[in-house]
Amino acid sequence: MGWIGSGNDRDQTLRVLPDIAATFDVLYQSLWTQPHLPAGILELCRLRLAQLHGSAVDMQRHDFEIPSDKRNNLTHWDTHHSISAAERACLAFTEVYAMDVQALTDEHAAEVKAHFGDEGLVLLVEALGILDGMTRLSLLWQFPAHTSEQSAVGTSP
Amino acid sequence: MTGRPRATNTNKPSGNMIRDSALGLVPETLGHYMALNRNIWESGPLSPAEIEMARLRNARKVNCVFCKSVRYDIARADGLSEDRVAMIEDDYRDSALSEREKLILAFTDQFLNDPGGLGDVLKAALLAEFSTQELVHLSMVVAHFSGFSRCAVALGGMPDSLPIMEISLPQ
Repeated sequence: MGWIGSGNDRDQTLRVLPDIAATFDVLYQSLWTQPHLPAGILELCRLRLAQLHGSAVDMQRHDFEIPSDKRNNLTHWDTHHSISAAERACLAFTEVYAMDVQALTDEHAAEVKAHFGDEGLVLLVEALGILDGMTRLSLLWQFPAHTSEQSAVGTSP
Repeated sequence: MTGRPRATNTNKPSGNMIRDSALGLVPETLGHYMALNRNIWESGPLSPAEIEMARLRNARKVNCVFCKSVRYDIARADGLSEDRVAMIEDDYRDSALSEREKLILAFTDQFLNDPGGLGDVLKAALLAEFSTQELVHLSMVVAHFSGFSRCAVALGGMPDSLPIMEISLPQ
């Protein structure tokens, strides 16, 4: 259980504010169904954020099912054969975003746009804001990680 | 900081500041984003002035010029003067802000600087001052505005400075 209330995870914690929880949930779900950026790439970026922040809870979370080869080799995404050029463009953007958003360059953005256009870039940036924020809250709320690899909450197909 | 926007909305202008921005390129999420923004401001237990203090602290730390220049009218109506806004600097602990306001800024800094490193002293002070609902609200305030300000920075086109602008909640 986290310290902030009786909730043991994000959904339980947000439940004390039902209106905000409901609108957040609708927004969060929309990230995984929009047509501009594949949900699998978004999941890779979410997991990379979790790695960079050191959030075990968010590493255990499954919001969208991705091949285990990609998930297991995410720490060396820049060289592993399972990661495509489009995924690398988004992961490179994500890494700089996580470390210092001011350090993002036009080139980082152009690499993403080369694969997904302006719409894909906007979606990625919007999603990273939400995913980064919730990863930080997982850490700040001090949720315990599961003892075994299992899904916390998710929308896997 | 880049002066060139990295994404451009070429749709016909609607007159809505947010919908006409690059965010308008993704209507599948924008409406939900704006609905959450309204609920963040209107559906939680923290006052508009308290929300605005956390928002402005985040804006200064992330260095979003646009976010720093904006003042929400409902926060001003709630009593947040420019004198108090001027105290939201790195030396806020020595300012005339109330202990509750200082805790809001400390929580915001913890989220931004070291979310995994919350210590027992700050945790106890937060629990003594705020209800569970208030702490969850403050959490979502900070997460929401952190994401929004980083979004604005990442999409480029940010000027070096802007005058103070009072705005209402976008519809």
